[in-house]
Amino acid sequence: MNFALAAVLLPLLAAVLALCWRRQAARLVWLSTLFSLLLALAALWQVVTFGPASMQLGGWQTGLAIRWQLNELSALLLLMTALIHSLVASYSLSQWRDAGLSADFWPLSALLQSALSSLFLSVDLFNWYVTLELLGLAAVALVLLSGKKALQAAMRYLLLSLAASLCYLLGVALLYGHYGWLDVPQLAVAISEEPVDHRLALWLITAGLMLKAALWPLHVWLPAAHAAAPAPVSALLSALVVKGPLFMLYMIWSQLAGPELAVTGSWLFLLTGSMALVVGGWSALRTPYAKVMVAYSTVAQLGYGLLALGLMLHLTDPAFTQALFIFVLAHALAKTSTFLAVGEMQLRLGGKRLSTFRGASQTMPLAMFAVAVAGGSLIGLPPSGGFVAKWQLLLPLWQHSQLWWLLPVILAGTLLSAAYIFRLVVLAFNRAKPVRPDFAPALLPQWLALLPALLVWMLAFASGSLLSWLGG
Amino acid sequence: MSLVHWYLLIAAGLWGIGCYGLIRGPELLRRIIALNLMGAAVFLVMVTLAARTDPADGVLHALVLTGLVVAVSATAFALALVARTLSESA
Repeated sequence: MNFALAAVLLPLLAAVLALCWRRQAARLVWLSTLFSLLLALAALWQVVTFGPASMQLGGWQTGLAIRWQLNELSALLLLMTALIHSLVASYSLSQWRDAGLSADFWPLSALLQSALSSLFLSVDLFNWYVTLELLGLAAVALVLLSGKKALQAAMRYLLLSLAASLCYLLGVALLYGHYGWLDVPQLAVAISEEPVDHRLALWLITAGLMLKAALWPLHVWLPAAHAAAPAPVSALLSALVVKGPLFMLYMIWSQLAGPELAVTGSWLFLLTGSMALVVGGWSALRTPYAKVMVAYSTVAQLGYGLLALGLMLHLTDPAFTQALFIFVLAHALAKTSTFLAVGEMQLRLGGKRLSTFRGASQTMPLAMFAVAVAGGSLIGLPPSGGFVAKWQLLLPLWQHSQLWWLLPVILAGTLLSAAYIFRLVVLAFNRAKPVRPDFAPALLPQWLALLPALLVWMLAFASGSLLSWLGG
Repeated sequence: MSLVHWYLLIAAGLWGIGCYGLIRGPELLRRIIALNLMGAAVFLVMVTLAARTDPADGVLHALVLTGLVVAVSATAFALALVARTLSESA
């Protein structure tokens, strides 16, 4: 638990220091992300060796204290947060002066990491509200770093995000009114002992979280906000920020919904997940702008998360929990790589449209390779992480024939993601009239953009231990 | 109808007005005020729920206090953003 606590506090400290000492902000935050990666690894090692741990913040008794819990799942998510942050920070450090990224990026991204890490560790409804607000405000401020062109998207993001938090808070207040607990494990016990009708509270919480996680049909704010942000910010937002509310949705529905309500909720998640896959994929295929395409791909990919969540609630099979979180890990790595590489190519080739990428396989082969490799995981080609997640989703589904209609939906989603990735790849291999880079592409940022894509392909080799850690 | 129900009804009304203002818009300031109304509704629910017992539930009061701090900072941020939008468009 000590290591996990340090992994939350270190970025917070770095954020404050970076604000005071702006000249060294970049190096400070970069170092803090590397150290927090080590701390998160140590926390995972601690859980695997000594078992799960929990602590009551401030040493108050249960009911008054905020409980933080470190188990295999939260340790893995903590590690994912630290890993993505260190990758993105390394990339930004290598090119932020070229890209004209504001120095405010560093304290804000450290704050984002701290907020997200505490979200993954916490199991307290109100503490989740506070971390959600921190996450939302930091994310909006990060989008604003793009300047004037991002104002409208950021404003819309802020208003919807605040409305979503209020929805969530009202639900929490009603739940507390019913049972008198904010601590999730205690609340779960109270609900199983004397169930009261708490549907309204749960639906309010769900609506708020679905809006925050940009789950179809509440995704309207995401493409504009993620596309308007600078490339490293888009990577953080798409890879990490939307996963926080998704994790909360999983925790709340798996622990606080009774068996009957869980089946009702599962239909909502199955239907919205299917729609997200198809509609998001279709929009990604139709847009003329590169970053909007990647952002819509996030909307579509979150559909797999929703399907896994819905299936877990519907069939109560732990295999779907494994599928959900392997998908979360794989998508985080693949999307980081895609956004960083696409951002790097936009910067050097000078254009927002997909047509800018004509001949990119010749002019910027490394970055294009990163997009193609990460795209392979988004499509679900073996042996990438995306493939493992999809396999884990399909294998148990095969045995439950009453949900056969999900198979064509998943197939359509896969074909659509293959289509939008290949649309980019085909353009890149059109070498007849390549778009010339404005200035010589630097190699280091391209390698750093490729790194997460290589990691996601290596995820398959670690899938044995991943599955055993997520087995519960 | 008990006093608790009465206050909950007022909170529901405030929430409804806030939602309407937020969706209807279109001025940004109006939307921010609508969000604050929704916040007031949530805090009213919390204070009402706290008042059901004697002495009143301290946890809910603490939540309202924290919620107010969050709401004030979020509103300040939103207003700064509006100011920026206006100065950019002028």
